[in-house]
Amino acid sequence: MRQNSSNLSDMSLDKQKTPFVYTDEQLIARFQAGDERAYIELVNRYRDRLINFVFQFLGDREQAEDVVQDTMLKLYIKKHYYREIAKFSTWIYTIARNLANTELRKRKRRKTTLLSHMTRDEREYELPAIQPETGQEVQTEFAEKQIQAAIQDLPEHFKTVIILRDIQELSYDDISSIVGVPLGTVKSRINRARLQLQAELKNLR
Amino acid sequence: MNRYQFEDLISEYIENELTISKRKLFESYLEDNPDAKDLVESVRINQEKMKSLPKVSSSSDFNTRLLAKIQKGAATLPQPEESQRTYFGFLPLHASLMTGLVIAFVFVSIQLFSPDETNSSSQNQLYANDQVPSLSNPGLDDVVQKIPDLVDVKEDSSLENNQKKGQKDFSKQMHFVND
Repeated sequence: MRQNSSNLSDMSLDKQKTPFVYTDEQLIARFQAGDERAYIELVNRYRDRLINFVFQFLGDREQAEDVVQDTMLKLYIKKHYYREIAKFSTWIYTIARNLANTELRKRKRRKTTLLSHMTRDEREYELPAIQPETGQEVQTEFAEKQIQAAIQDLPEHFKTVIILRDIQELSYDDISSIVGVPLGTVKSRINRARLQLQAELKNLR
Repeated sequence: MNRYQFEDLISEYIENELTISKRKLFESYLEDNPDAKDLVESVRINQEKMKSLPKVSSSSDFNTRLLAKIQKGAATLPQPEESQRTYFGFLPLHASLMTGLVIAFVFVSIQLFSPDETNSSSQNQLYANDQVPSLSNPGLDDVVQKIPDLVDVKEDSSLENNQKKGQKDFSKQMHFVND
């Protein structure tokens, strides 16, 4: 296995200019059968999507990348745990979400004072009101930070579903599988999360 | 439609998932409540902004670092494929435990619900209750029979009386027939 792993970087299907003819489920099946090129293909397909998801969840790019690395490592080690009764995408998102949750709990224990964990007053102090003469680019950046901070402030069960729906643009069914709650609960949580975000961002125009 | 019902339906309205009748009710509520219209509009705007948030991409050495981790992990992990081999979705330990439980369940079920087995076992029990002189110490059974407790004595005496009464009646009847 070590020898196989050392050659993985040379086995990427991207490098071989192979067209994407396999579905995710076919790729994981091939990987389970021992084809490690399929693993690299899956990593290439999902790494950016997962980093975006985890970044919105944690609010820290480096930590997000570490979590996604751990997710991919888990995929490598626990490939036989995947069963084709579920979509591969929901399975890998579930792993990433669980690891991100673990990271979030660790962080809460450490009581770090990241921007996302400051109180509203502190945040307003750090991010002063926009002056009329401020450039459009700065305004956009400010708005993005405000939105990200508002997402960070949501309770975990709201945060996960709103990121998966409004940023990752997954279907309600997929979100239901990832989070492990009924479809109706997912819809209700998304609606309440949007209302809560609206309350947080009502001064942002 | 009240305020709570209106708020519950905002997302479905934005995503165009309401039925025609509910949509009409919702829109009539919006017409009557300008603040509700503003709320829906701001939720829609926030949703658009979230979709347009800048995408974060992985670093250029993502795969290299991952492969290094895999190599490191492969050196420490003892053949994950072997240890994680499953039988019908169960790990070997769980599969053997489950098999044992199933066999035990089948055996107990046969014992409980087979009618022939039940009769023969009850008959065996009846035969077992019969007093069979023990081969190891035959005299012990006689000793036990010769020392009955008081309850046994009463029951025995009443039985004897009944038997005597029955005998008397029977003899009278016999006498009458003979006459």
